[in-house]
Amino acid sequence: MFKQFVRFKSISNTNASTQKVVNQLSALSASRKQPKLIKLSAQDLIKHQTIQNAWKLYSDKLARENRKMLKEQYESIYNAMEELKQFPELFEAAKDDVKAPFPLEMRIPTDFPPNQPWIYNYEK
Amino acid sequence: MNRIRLFSTTTSLCRAGYSTVEPVHHLVPIRKSALKPGYKELLIPKDDIRSVGYKPKNIQHDRVNDYYENQLKSDLMLRLYEHDSETVIGSKLRPWETDSPYKLYRRARKPKGFYRPQKDIKPVTFKNVPELTSISINLYSKEALEESWVNISTRLQIAQITNAKPKRIYNKSNVLPWKVRQGKPCGCKVELVEEDMTQFLSTLTELVLPRIRTFKGISKKSGDKNGNITFGLNPDDIKFFPEIENFQDLYPNLFGFHITFKTSARTDDQARLLLSSLGLPFN
Repeated sequence: MFKQFVRFKSISNTNASTQKVVNQLSALSASRKQPKLIKLSAQDLIKHQTIQNAWKLYSDKLARENRKMLKEQYESIYNAMEELKQFPELFEAAKDDVKAPFPLEMRIPTDFPPNQPWIYNYEK
Repeated sequence: MNRIRLFSTTTSLCRAGYSTVEPVHHLVPIRKSALKPGYKELLIPKDDIRSVGYKPKNIQHDRVNDYYENQLKSDLMLRLYEHDSETVIGSKLRPWETDSPYKLYRRARKPKGFYRPQKDIKPVTFKNVPELTSISINLYSKEALEESWVNISTRLQIAQITNAKPKRIYNKSNVLPWKVRQGKPCGCKVELVEEDMTQFLSTLTELVLPRIRTFKGISKKSGDKNGNITFGLNPDDIKFFPEIENFQDLYPNLFGFHITFKTSARTDDQARLLLSSLGLPFN
């Protein structure tokens, strides 16, 4: 039966609380945590770069569309206010800026919303 | 002429003339060791997959950013729109008058009410809708001054919560009664951007803050007048972070820290509106 030969049994002089700190330090340090550099063949590299470029083009296009939409919205706000100048009462009412913050009930949408998404008898 | 140089002769005597220009290679130090071919990999930009420091981006759906881009941006623009508004010019340095020759080369006076010139406040248009640029976390611990190993726990706590490696901070001055000594490590800081930032924000607004019973909201007085808003968390509140909550025996001592939301808003009111839209309460 094979038994591994052990010359010295490693004895740590550290007590439990010190060992805890040592463990914390090793969890924090970067040693042996850096993943290995991926070695890509020329083909794979071209594939990767093509996908990256395509994604960049796509996200640029989305950003451009968003910017255009925002600009159009801004212009329509401006035009609406200009038109409202004919009716001073309405114009003054529209100029009042509301200082209230956004309601806290407004949530960031999730992939898995609750089964009951809306509380109908909600009271604050 | 004697071509063999002897100890008795000097070099200047052997030459026909000498240059008055100092040799350039003595003045410009070139670290040739940095040019060796082994370091070539380090010149690759970090967004290239061949680089050693490559970190993949867009690895998951960033729902906070999507929500901001698709929904909040136009809402904020509408809320912050002011018709016929003009740029509010901040107080600038005041140059001296030209009536006296004594005032000719004097340094300009400080702006009224401030030490340094203030930025202009431009009206919000589609180009400059306020957005959250980064979240900065700053942890100062007094315990680390007495026991230096404590600073390991503080850094680990922040690293676990934020998914980013924190930097150590050091005391800048000597204050004897507080045991503050210059150059002594006293906590850590980290600056979160992009995905780490939105992940931290959603954890904070959805998991941590709703469960803190004493939390009444961020103070409305908070802010540095430049659209950056800060609030603090107590050591008791930290245990609600899911990374800490499930491994409480590994973290015997927890540390509170300050969170600064850095926004591109020009005033604190605008920044508060932005943060309230992202789910942070104010009182």
